[in-house]
Amino acid sequence: MIINHPLLGPRDSEEFVYLGSTDLINRPTNWEDEASAEDFYQYQYIRDNIAGDHQELWYHEQGDQSWLVVSRNTLTHEITNVELAQDVARTMGRGK
Amino acid sequence: MSDYELLPESPLGGVEIELDGFNITEVTDKSLVMVALPRDKYSDIESSIDKSCGLKLPEMEHSTESKDSSITLWRLQKNQVLAYFTYEGHDAESHLSSQLNAPAYYTDQSDTWAMIRVSGNRSRDVLERICPIDLSPEVFSVGRVSRTIMEHIGTIIFRDGDDSYVLLTMRSFGRSMLHAIEVSADNVL
Repeated sequence: MIINHPLLGPRDSEEFVYLGSTDLINRPTNWEDEASAEDFYQYQYIRDNIAGDHQELWYHEQGDQSWLVVSRNTLTHEITNVELAQDVARTMGRGK
Repeated sequence: MSDYELLPESPLGGVEIELDGFNITEVTDKSLVMVALPRDKYSDIESSIDKSCGLKLPEMEHSTESKDSSITLWRLQKNQVLAYFTYEGHDAESHLSSQLNAPAYYTDQSDTWAMIRVSGNRSRDVLERICPIDLSPEVFSVGRVSRTIMEHIGTIIFRDGDDSYVLLTMRSFGRSMLHAIEVSADNVL
């Protein structure tokens, strides 16, 4: 599988490590709140098992050590979009 | 108590192998220092290194050279550059920071990497069996640099001449890398 890295161009997926769904970016920020246990439970364990287009986090460990958001079809393995996770997180209003 | 005398040794003991159209030599006259670029100092650094050494910050996976060709900067990541420069002493970090004279963060990495130069007109034939990136001369032109994986070993590859490449692996993987190159040479030549 080839991942088209936004900064480096096409790279073999052997260089990458897979983490999971992009939902992991949205870690609850209300950790001081007593009710946050339920939010963290949802965040940590509850996932949709998508058959189709899936947004996922990949880490370019044997490369520039960037985190990527890869849009991949879980049925065909076709990759339709690759972005830097840093940019995606910022558009979600996270980070600086 | 015995008197010990400790002598520095390069990761591969200065290996030199000559084959038909293909040579393997350890690079022992270079040092490596990571130069981290804080986001708010980026333009300061750019102008300082230009003033001190005539250096530019390279584009991703490209390199730039100082005016006197002694320092090469490799851009393998967005927020840092790796300096590869001629120096054999024991204080590469302060040597480089005094040369560049720029407000960056410096970390000496010289002793953590094994550096192997492969050269000769068959070098690409040997490398193409172990290197997943495209090494065709027009794509991976002289001065290009990339970090990838070869035989499961994280490797930096830098093209420093028409038929000359420098491969860097973590020091503890140096012998394995040398073996991978020798096996590939055996298969090809």
